[in-house]
Amino acid sequence: MSAPKIRNFASLRNIGSLSNVSSLKRSTRFLPVVPSVVLLVLFLLAPVVWSFVSSFTDVSLSGKSARNPVWVGLDNYARMIGDPSFPASVWLTVVFVAASAVVGQNILGLGLALLMSRAGRAISAVAGIAVVSAWILPEIVAAFAAYAYFNRDGTLNQLLAAIGLEGTDWLYSFPMTAIILANLWRGTAFSMLVYRAALAAVPRDISEAALMDGAGSWQRLAFITLPVIRSSIATNLMLITLQTLAVFTLIWIMTAGGPANASTTLPVLAYQEAFKFGDIGYGTAVASVIIVIGSVFGIAYVRLLRQERP
Amino acid sequence: MNLRPRLSAIAVAALMVVATAACSPGPGEPQARTLTVMYQKTDSFVALENVLKDAKGEFEAANSGITVELEPIQANDDDYGTKLALAQRSPETAPDVFYEDTFKVRADVEAGYLLKLDEHLQKWEDWKQFSEGAKAAGRADDGGIYAVPLGTDTRAIWYNKTVLQKAGIPVPWQPRTWQEILDTARKIKANDPSVVPFNMYAGKGTGEGTVMQSFYELLYGTGAALYDEKDRKWVVGSQGFTDSLTFLKTLYDEGLAVTPAEALDANVWKKVFGEWLPQGKMGATVEGSYAPSFWQAGGSYEWPGYATEMGVARFPTQNGQEPGGVSMSGGWTLAVGAGTAEPDLAFKFLTTALNKKNALAFDINSSQIAVRADVAADPAYQSANPFIKEVSELVDVTHYRPATADYPRISTAVQVATESVITGKQSPDEAGAVYDQTVREIVGDDKVIQK
Amino acid sequence: MNPKGIRRRTRLAADAALAVVALCFVLPLLWLVLAAVDTEAGHEINWPASPSFANFTSILTPDLLFRPLANSFLLSAGTACVNLVVAVLAAYPLSRFQSRFNKPYLYAVLFATSLPITAIMVPVYGLFVQLHLLDSMAATIFFMATTTLPMAIWMTRNFIDSIPLELEEAAWVDGASGMMGLRTVVLPLMRQGLGVVFIFVFIQAWGNFFIPFILLLSASKQPAAVSIFGFFGQHGAVAYGQLAAFSILYSIPVLVLYALVSRGSGDSFALSGAMKG
Repeated sequence: MSAPKIRNFASLRNIGSLSNVSSLKRSTRFLPVVPSVVLLVLFLLAPVVWSFVSSFTDVSLSGKSARNPVWVGLDNYARMIGDPSFPASVWLTVVFVAASAVVGQNILGLGLALLMSRAGRAISAVAGIAVVSAWILPEIVAAFAAYAYFNRDGTLNQLLAAIGLEGTDWLYSFPMTAIILANLWRGTAFSMLVYRAALAAVPRDISEAALMDGAGSWQRLAFITLPVIRSSIATNLMLITLQTLAVFTLIWIMTAGGPANASTTLPVLAYQEAFKFGDIGYGTAVASVIIVIGSVFGIAYVRLLRQERP
Repeated sequence: MNLRPRLSAIAVAALMVVATAACSPGPGEPQARTLTVMYQKTDSFVALENVLKDAKGEFEAANSGITVELEPIQANDDDYGTKLALAQRSPETAPDVFYEDTFKVRADVEAGYLLKLDEHLQKWEDWKQFSEGAKAAGRADDGGIYAVPLGTDTRAIWYNKTVLQKAGIPVPWQPRTWQEILDTARKIKANDPSVVPFNMYAGKGTGEGTVMQSFYELLYGTGAALYDEKDRKWVVGSQGFTDSLTFLKTLYDEGLAVTPAEALDANVWKKVFGEWLPQGKMGATVEGSYAPSFWQAGGSYEWPGYATEMGVARFPTQNGQEPGGVSMSGGWTLAVGAGTAEPDLAFKFLTTALNKKNALAFDINSSQIAVRADVAADPAYQSANPFIKEVSELVDVTHYRPATADYPRISTAVQVATESVITGKQSPDEAGAVYDQTVREIVGDDKVIQK
Repeated sequence: MNPKGIRRRTRLAADAALAVVALCFVLPLLWLVLAAVDTEAGHEINWPASPSFANFTSILTPDLLFRPLANSFLLSAGTACVNLVVAVLAAYPLSRFQSRFNKPYLYAVLFATSLPITAIMVPVYGLFVQLHLLDSMAATIFFMATTTLPMAIWMTRNFIDSIPLELEEAAWVDGASGMMGLRTVVLPLMRQGLGVVFIFVFIQAWGNFFIPFILLLSASKQPAAVSIFGFFGQHGAVAYGQLAAFSILYSIPVLVLYALVSRGSGDSFALSGAMKG
């Protein structure tokens, strides 16, 4: 849940735009920034560094290497490449992010925002509340609800039965489908809010003018609306990718990564290796990979916003 | 007037809170004179909590000024193990006394989490009551003793007599071979397809239960082993391993066990004890000697008729070869944290919790096989569990898990193999090959032996 | 066809489509509500045979509900307070004074907003062990605060940017120091904005499961998110009604807070409005 990030980029324009107030002492005026720096270094930078360092050791929860971890160089990374569950997990993560976020949340969120700009006020408000509730609920509660929904005796199968279709045990037979749909359900609100804000900012006269010129609604969408909000689209894609990459609780509650690792995305793999199997060295190696992937997107995000500046 | 320094000071002060919290005395440090006791508690396992509460009362009465803080962890065996290990790694959170699974003792000794108890034990009058096997359960590679068992257990086939009789199977039932198990199970299924004929756990969900109450009964009945005690090497590539996986595959593929989806649920055993067996929806399952603890009065799934409805059979070897049966034994211990500030008090509490009265209460309430001679001889113990004779006899054919520090990770690899097979992801041969590779990675090529 | 007719038709189609989507989104939550008032609840949705609040009353115990909720409150409020103080302190000079240091710092903060926190939990655990911070409520608060701090700094700086500098300059001319300007001029003007930051950090901390799950070990310190997980693991197969009741009671505070923010700022996407574009 990070709606506040939505319009971050715009404010970058203001960096350094205010005039220098020379009457204040330069040496101390940035002192108040120190606590934030200390916290960020201690609790964000240090763990990242820590992650890379311990990924080169065999540190574990129990056994000899709990007390005296040994430097093992690239062993953990070599094992990763040789271990079939790692590439499988990377693939599942890609599928999960692509299907539930990049395609699912993004398109559904845009669709909802477009519909809301055309639909009646009351129905828009109701739909907005419905979509936002799934997003605002504590993650573990949403996960329980999704778990019950996709259960063999759950709501989904009841619905299917009502229209004469036979359900299945979704969490067992189609765990990826279940967690993708669950994450779509939970996360769409974010994209919807982003796009509603973006559409609200599209000057009305532009689309009115196009309408007068006889442009169909799809044409207007493709040639007018989307180009105008393209920076919101890019920002949104970046942010939901990062959020979805980090999803853990939802999957952990619904399938715990199973059956037979069929829904073990990278965060679940890192947790299992480190805490369930006690292999902290290997777990941090997996975590380091996630951090690298996240950083690539993070850097792209920062660059994107920098380009936004006039 | 300048507020700037003051605001910064507030911020710095706020950060200090972290530091203060870090330096403030943790539990178990001298000035507080507290002992923390960490143990497992679930809605179906309160026997230990009751015993520890009693022990706390006795101990605090006998040692004034000392508080025993009970720290229950509400989790299944697997998650309890994780949480305990997470706490043990840090001196601040490491408990003084804790409940420890026997199979983790050696690994945790190597990690430096457990206090060596030899000197204390010499002075403990009751120590001679413990059987040799029990003493060995707490022994580490250096020969020292680090943990004291609360009880032990064996594994057997528990069957519902009515379900078997309905399918025309005479009771008491004692299968001689794996084939006889399959034959019987198929008969039950043919007679009533809604019944689960013969369940054996599989997959990571049931954790250690998958290996202790299922896979090892198979493996050790093929003549193969997990670990070669003589060479101190892990066995890979054995026919017995694939045969065992194949047997599980047959059970699950033919629908003789629960569905794979149910098997992967960590809570499946609750349904076995609480619903399927009492309601006559399951023919038989492989479970621990502690099974009656769930059904007896005060248990989580009280079932007055269990003593007459249920029967016990030993798990057969693959083709009926000697010794004609297989069982597995484990059990839990109490141990003292290596970093405790009060080693003497902690040990004293351990002996209070394990004295005859408390051990008797625990063994009765959780249907454990006693490890103290005086408890085993107690009439209350002998009359509490109608199956105590049968399950205690299984000690003759029982096996113990390899007591090595690597064991917990190997166990996980076995669970993964069973899960891959019952879900149809891999054939027994493929899953066996993956297991072999994993074992090599965990222990190194020089510590495996091809059989 | 005239434009008005087109518009009416699109509107009807849009209404219908939205209604369908809203229904799909509500369905999974329906189970929570129905199961909570059904003592016989399973996974399926059923109209309870005899609706009752028995599930609620049976979980109203200190161990099960009140202490975990109190812990959740302590963690969330603590996290939000730390965030506010640190973010305001950091954002003020960044907004008001120019320096070579501003830009890299802000980009670093922006970058930090995108760090996948679940990925660093394994190393954070290792770090906490090493620093002897495990099972410390205060340390957990500071860590949780740090995870939301980048976002809080961004928001706060935007709020401060939106306050005209002239007001403070007047105060400075009168001899006030920079920080006094912050206290007497800026803070009162951005009260509402700070409220938004507080609530959003609070909501995020309230719903967080993974961080306290790893960092807080004693049952007496665990927040509702963690205790509900234990409850589910232990009783899941038998007590779905209670689980649902627990979930609802645990969710109410964030729903109320969210409603507060969205209402206070006029519409449901309060934040984007509150943020300076």
